[in-house]
Amino acid sequence: MRSNYRRLLGLLAVLALVLAACGGGAEEGDGTTGPGDTTPADTGSDTAAEMEACDSPDDVRLQLQWFAQAQFAGYYAAVDQGYYDAQCLSVQILEGGVDIVPQQVLASGGAEFGIAWVPKALVSREAGADIINVAQIFERSGTLMVSWKDSGITSPEDWAGKKVGNWGFGNEYELLAAIEKYDVPDVELVAQDFTMSALLNREIDSAEAMTYNEYAQVLEAENPETGELYQPDDLDVIDFNEVGTAMLQDSLWVNSDWIAENEDVARRFLEASFEGWIYCRDNPDDCVQSVLDAGSTLGLSHQTWMMNEINALIWPATHGIGVMNEDLWNQTIEIATTQIPDLQGVEISPDVYRTDLAEAAVAALEERGLDVRGESWERVEVQLNPGGE
Amino acid sequence: MTWLRHRAVAPVLAFVAVVGAWELSVRALGIQSFILPAPSAIWASFVGNAGVIWPYGLRTLGEALGGLVIGTILGVGAAAAVARWTTLRLGAMPFAAAVNAMPIVATAPIFNQLFGSTNPVSKMAVVGVMVFFPVMANTARGLAEVDPSELELMRAMAASPYTVLRRVRIPNALPYFFTAMKVAVPLSLIGAIIAEYFGGPQNVLGQYIVNRAQLFQFPDAWAAILVSAVLGIGLYLVVLVSERLVMPWHVSLRAAD
Repeated sequence: MRSNYRRLLGLLAVLALVLAACGGGAEEGDGTTGPGDTTPADTGSDTAAEMEACDSPDDVRLQLQWFAQAQFAGYYAAVDQGYYDAQCLSVQILEGGVDIVPQQVLASGGAEFGIAWVPKALVSREAGADIINVAQIFERSGTLMVSWKDSGITSPEDWAGKKVGNWGFGNEYELLAAIEKYDVPDVELVAQDFTMSALLNREIDSAEAMTYNEYAQVLEAENPETGELYQPDDLDVIDFNEVGTAMLQDSLWVNSDWIAENEDVARRFLEASFEGWIYCRDNPDDCVQSVLDAGSTLGLSHQTWMMNEINALIWPATHGIGVMNEDLWNQTIEIATTQIPDLQGVEISPDVYRTDLAEAAVAALEERGLDVRGESWERVEVQLNPGGE
Repeated sequence: MTWLRHRAVAPVLAFVAVVGAWELSVRALGIQSFILPAPSAIWASFVGNAGVIWPYGLRTLGEALGGLVIGTILGVGAAAAVARWTTLRLGAMPFAAAVNAMPIVATAPIFNQLFGSTNPVSKMAVVGVMVFFPVMANTARGLAEVDPSELELMRAMAASPYTVLRRVRIPNALPYFFTAMKVAVPLSLIGAIIAEYFGGPQNVLGQYIVNRAQLFQFPDAWAAILVSAVLGIGLYLVVLVSERLVMPWHVSLRAAD
């Protein structure tokens, strides 16, 4: 008997210890989300002239959702062109990766700004991440489903009974919505790594690809039959913008408690970032160089292709770069809350995004004579080289 | 108070205490579900998503069992070979140890590429590699470390090598083999789930867990972990029962009663 009680007591003691440890951890976690708690990150480009107008630049960390590449050229350009310095900001760009979820980094106070696709961010919000959208950078979706010509997959109905690749992690929502919308039966969903090898060796019939990245990777691969690179004619492409399940993608998110006290920092950050994107529209080659200097994995022709395609997702910008197009937001919410299981029937509050900061930034840029809409922007032809070199 | 002495009481009490404290602390401290979900939320997902996670779990179980069978057959075969030929043991053991040291993050993509990520054999191969070494090492030891007096007795009675194997070595190796299986069974589920993470069909536990976790749906991820735990306990019980059926005579089992 005695020994039984003693064992129980021991167990309780262990439990108390575990609880104490958990409690302490949670409190610390709360502490780090506070404003102004950032570690100093000097980008090292301050000059005496800039320091005159700016005694103590505000530290801002931007969490990308992927590795350094032209998808984020506007931010790298804003660093290289000194736009952040001019706004008295010291910006540290944090590269993403397969296992880095920007919403999670934001929620835990690891960055002030994070880039995320709208539906993924909404799902994170529903799970308790108190984040809001302050700028919608891309107005169009860049997601495609790519298949070989001989598979004959030209519309969502053709996925029936096929192996359809996707990246998961919320990157598959447009695909799931299309399957739901067209009521496609027997689709075998297969996890695709972030390369196109599963399509290239025909392990899957249809592969998810971004116009600016993976689609180009296919066109940079050699067709063993011809000895030449694969051509767009070898592929069938389904574009979610045409399918009607496209949802808004790259946008800038912040913690709502951080933004409440840092509106001015945010407005300056948006102005400089938008200016970076405008620079990349007008000087794509310079921006590609900035991205290559930042250590992108793939090379010059790939990043040049990406820069061009990214510009196509941004420009023309209906209300000026970064300002939410309400129609597209509503379309995204409509699709998300009817066709994404995680959001089905969820009431999305209109406070999830705000446009005032982006509008102020756009107004300031217009006042300085910059073209914030890019209506005259035109796509260029980009020659891809093997392996994206 | 005799009920307190019952074997089932202590674990049940411990379980209730841990889960209760967990639930209370999540509620009292207002911990966000993406940091630590409450047991009630996990249970709600476990029940609500039963139609998803159990079929996924059975597919994962199929891969684990396939790999377990492959790894066990190869492990026992290798053990028999090194027990029979001593030179082989000296030559082969470093290789077996090297196989054991292969990190799963390397083997999974390799087997995905080799067999195709949509082919379940790619996952079974990963499990097979993980299971192989504990089965081989333990079984080999059981076959080799036989009481010399028993061997002398068999020799005195002019028993053939086959009879020695059947009457002395195999019965001696059985407890070692079952010890290995108790290690291998949970390994097989872990191996299958991690292998799934590296690509393949998405209707399996490994993909489900990582996807739900990335989307902050941690109660779902935990519910899937619970499924894998239930499957793991089920497999473990199968090993325990077979052990009793195969060698009811063994000292360790009689002592436990």
